[in-house]
Amino acid sequence: MNKSDNSLFGRVSMFLGHEAGLIDSRDWHGWLALYAADANFWAPAWVDDQNMTSDPTRQTSLIYADRTELESRVFRIESEDSYASMPLPQTVHVVTCTHVEIAADGMAKAKANWIVHSFWRTKGAIVRAGRYEYELREEGAGFLIALKKIFVHDDRVAGPIDIYNI
Amino acid sequence: MNVRQRLSPIAPMPSANEYIDDRPSEGVFRVRKAAYSDPDIFEMEIERIFSRVWHYVCHESQLREVGDYIATEIARQPVFATRSKDGSVKVFFDACAHRGARLTTRRSGKAAIITCRYHGWCYDTTGKCTKIQYEKLGWPNGLPAGYRTDLTPLPRVASYRGFVFASLAPHGEDIETYLGAGARVIDTMVDQSPQGIEMLDGSIRYVMRANWKLQSENGADGYHVAAVHRNYAATVSYREQLMGDRIDPLKATEAGRILNRTSTRTGSYDLGKGHMLNWSDRANVAAVPLFEREPDLLKQFPEGFVKWMVRRGRVLTIFPNFLVNDVASSAIRIWRPVSANETELETWCFAPVGESAKARAARIRKFEDFFFPSSLAVPDDVAAMEGAQEGSLATGKNWIEFARGREFSKDGADDAAEEMGIVPATSNGQGDSETCFYGFYRRWLELMTPPQS
Repeated sequence: MNKSDNSLFGRVSMFLGHEAGLIDSRDWHGWLALYAADANFWAPAWVDDQNMTSDPTRQTSLIYADRTELESRVFRIESEDSYASMPLPQTVHVVTCTHVEIAADGMAKAKANWIVHSFWRTKGAIVRAGRYEYELREEGAGFLIALKKIFVHDDRVAGPIDIYNI
Repeated sequence: MNVRQRLSPIAPMPSANEYIDDRPSEGVFRVRKAAYSDPDIFEMEIERIFSRVWHYVCHESQLREVGDYIATEIARQPVFATRSKDGSVKVFFDACAHRGARLTTRRSGKAAIITCRYHGWCYDTTGKCTKIQYEKLGWPNGLPAGYRTDLTPLPRVASYRGFVFASLAPHGEDIETYLGAGARVIDTMVDQSPQGIEMLDGSIRYVMRANWKLQSENGADGYHVAAVHRNYAATVSYREQLMGDRIDPLKATEAGRILNRTSTRTGSYDLGKGHMLNWSDRANVAAVPLFEREPDLLKQFPEGFVKWMVRRGRVLTIFPNFLVNDVASSAIRIWRPVSANETELETWCFAPVGESAKARAARIRKFEDFFFPSSLAVPDDVAAMEGAQEGSLATGKNWIEFARGREFSKDGADDAAEEMGIVPATSNGQGDSETCFYGFYRRWLELMTPPQS
């Protein structure tokens, strides 16, 4: 893949890599700007070994956030007053886009796999992995995220789970 | 009771009373830091505490149909609870009667007949062995006399209002005696609906690199809230500000109370038997999902009891490792000892059966704000407890002193305890006091000290 790949798949792959890069470089406001005002950021929880929660009105999720919740999580990180988030680990996201299609409503629906390696000098490293499902809205030359659904495959975790390490 | 064989005859088993310095007349109560990190102490805790107490297993609402099961551990031993065909909840050691392989295949699932995957023995939900693979071929003259083929149930299993407990010890107090005043606090949760409460789907296990007792302390510790959770409060307060007029009253929180913008009455009880209760009157009762039911509850229960249910946030810690929390939202938590410096935790949201869809959704969002390792609060607790664990290795000052708020403690019930109808061992009129820990550690010492021979 290179910058000359203007296929939908290529553009979406670049976009997902761009988002991950903003998180890993801690450009929180650049990252927030990728999200639509009505965006939904949703990490379901486990029901059993095979199924994750699917109804946020009746079941719990790890994170079920709208745009204001994402902004407040950025506020939390930037406050440097959260015991768990100060210091932040060095993170690296490895994201591989696996599928993109245009849905009937015109949204680009994408699937991707992820691994995040987090390292604290004080605690050592943790690695976790999962899948993403995105709904992306074409906006000018790029995309806006309407939905990011994050499936965290580990159901026994060490360390915090937050916007920067899933 | 099996006493672990020690490799070296030179090093004696530690004596637990060297770890607690309890001199009430001199106003001294201290816990030796090594109690959090000594592997010998940890092994003694497994044997003398976790193998003897009533240990929380699951909630009956998680086992709705015959064969539904939940696999877990008690004192590191694999066990599973299942809804039996006779309607009761059974708890068995999770090991085949034949060669001992763990039977359950998942953390939770459904199996009317559970089949051991090693040699194919089968069991029904009452634990009875229903099939021995190729039995006649291998035992042409029948099984030897006394060969036990059924599953072994835990020696004692009991349910208190839907909460299922089990004990590895054949003898001991019945569950209601064991829970003591804690049972009444559980009632303030269960009585929220005529149909009781249910556990909601959705959980995740998380591990912390800290001793299990630090979580037992943390739930009852009001003092850390203003330091560790001021960031939770500042964050949800910021979010409420962003939402402005769009905010639904149910979406609002208790942030103001934690940030000390409004002060309410608080308290901290040593409930006796090692159980602890930390409580605080709510600053914003309209934010409580249960608020919609207050008029109905007042028709059914005394006013003081309803106050505890609706208007008073409370964190109950049942000795040694079970917590029921109804402050920011409603949650239960269990923490399982893995080693002296590692603990596995698991949390669920509970809710009164039949509450409105609006209250249910608000309850779930508040739960996610606070109780998961992905929330705005629990990660900070975990980091703080890990910090305490690391610090416990520093000698120089070898003792942790529990002294805060001693002046506000009195024996027996205060007026708030009377409203609930309980008599704590001591009632402390300030929620950030440290006197409730005396009962926890006295119970710890009592169980850790072998009976005089």
